[in-house]
Amino acid sequence: MLKYFINGFLYLVCTAAVAQTSNTLVTKNSELYKDTYGIRLGVDLSRIITSALDDNYKGLELVADYRLSKNLYIAAELGNENKTKQENLYNFNTQGSYLKIGIDKNTYANWYGEQNAIYMGARLGFSTFNNTLNNYQIFNTNRYWNPTSFAEGANVAEEFNTRTAAWLEAIFGAKVAVLSNLYLGASVRLGFLFTDTNKGSFPILWIPGFNKVTSGSKFGVGYNYTLSYMIPIYKKDRKKKD
Amino acid sequence: MIKQILSLLTMAIGFLFFSCEKDDICVEGDTPLLVIAFYDMAAIETLKDVPTLRVVGNGKLLPITTFTDRTALNTVSIPLKTEEDATTFTFTNTSAAAEDGSETGNADVVTFAYDREADFKSRGCGFIITYTNLAVSLENDTDNWIKNIEVVTTTIENQDTTHVKIFH
Repeated sequence: MLKYFINGFLYLVCTAAVAQTSNTLVTKNSELYKDTYGIRLGVDLSRIITSALDDNYKGLELVADYRLSKNLYIAAELGNENKTKQENLYNFNTQGSYLKIGIDKNTYANWYGEQNAIYMGARLGFSTFNNTLNNYQIFNTNRYWNPTSFAEGANVAEEFNTRTAAWLEAIFGAKVAVLSNLYLGASVRLGFLFTDTNKGSFPILWIPGFNKVTSGSKFGVGYNYTLSYMIPIYKKDRKKKD
Repeated sequence: MIKQILSLLTMAIGFLFFSCEKDDICVEGDTPLLVIAFYDMAAIETLKDVPTLRVVGNGKLLPITTFTDRTALNTVSIPLKTEEDATTFTFTNTSAAAEDGSETGNADVVTFAYDREADFKSRGCGFIITYTNLAVSLENDTDNWIKNIEVVTTTIENQDTTHVKIFH
């Protein structure tokens, strides 16, 4: 009982917006219940909304997962992002695509008929991207020659092309069936960058899919809010006792 | 149940790592100043003070602010222009103000020529300038108090060492 209570609590926290799901009726013969297996395809809503609101960002992420067993899914994200960032004294653009492949493991014990998930996942992420350094000024704490501004460094855009990065990602997330086969999901992601082509006069400061690269740290954080649809492929008996 | 608690703990620990970032402030570097040391022409190994030194950039009315104006010094650090390949300064020995407000003293004009390289330091700092191929020229006049100039290092990356020696 306690287990269901805690599960239910987590479920409420993660899905406060969702009031009620349309469960199939639980019959007395519930051990005959069949789980639906299929491919779930979706899109990240947060990147679409950010694209609409932020002039300096364009991004799209497609998500998919395929149910392997009762609690195990193969999952992937494919995305493209284009972000221009104005720092204090320079302005740069990052444009590129990424692919993340891995697994999700559901830890939420659904009641019969439920299709929700609170999951932990892992991904291997790859990105190829181009950097453009649009302009920069020279940082100088001595203000003798430029009392009110910083000296112009360069106004001609400089390209740093075909950069790549790879990282591992740990995920914690939830998916809730809001309608039959239609899911809302949310996840937070912790990335560990293990390789990148960080060379040349301008380092990698942002990676599509990984987000901000901080100096002296290999970690990055990200999130998404997904809307996805499950295409049912087959049904499988759930075991009588989980 | 343990799994869920573990998940939450993982998240909480994850967020702890990202609570503060040092990236937004610049601590990694700064465009260096040119370090000049004044040596005795009679004993070239010995530092020698310039009495009431004043250094004014060409085109500027006010003296540079990296040291107290009109003090006796044997080492000064002066800022080079970051947007041009040469900077000219007037070094005035025994600088003083005349009664009408004009400056008295022996003024020598020195031009520093160099190449500039933009050097990305960090996210917070952005780009600074490293000067290379430094060359110094002294404008000849009837009474130069500067007798000789020696470039110690042609590359200026930091302010730890003397870049230019001036003998007087």
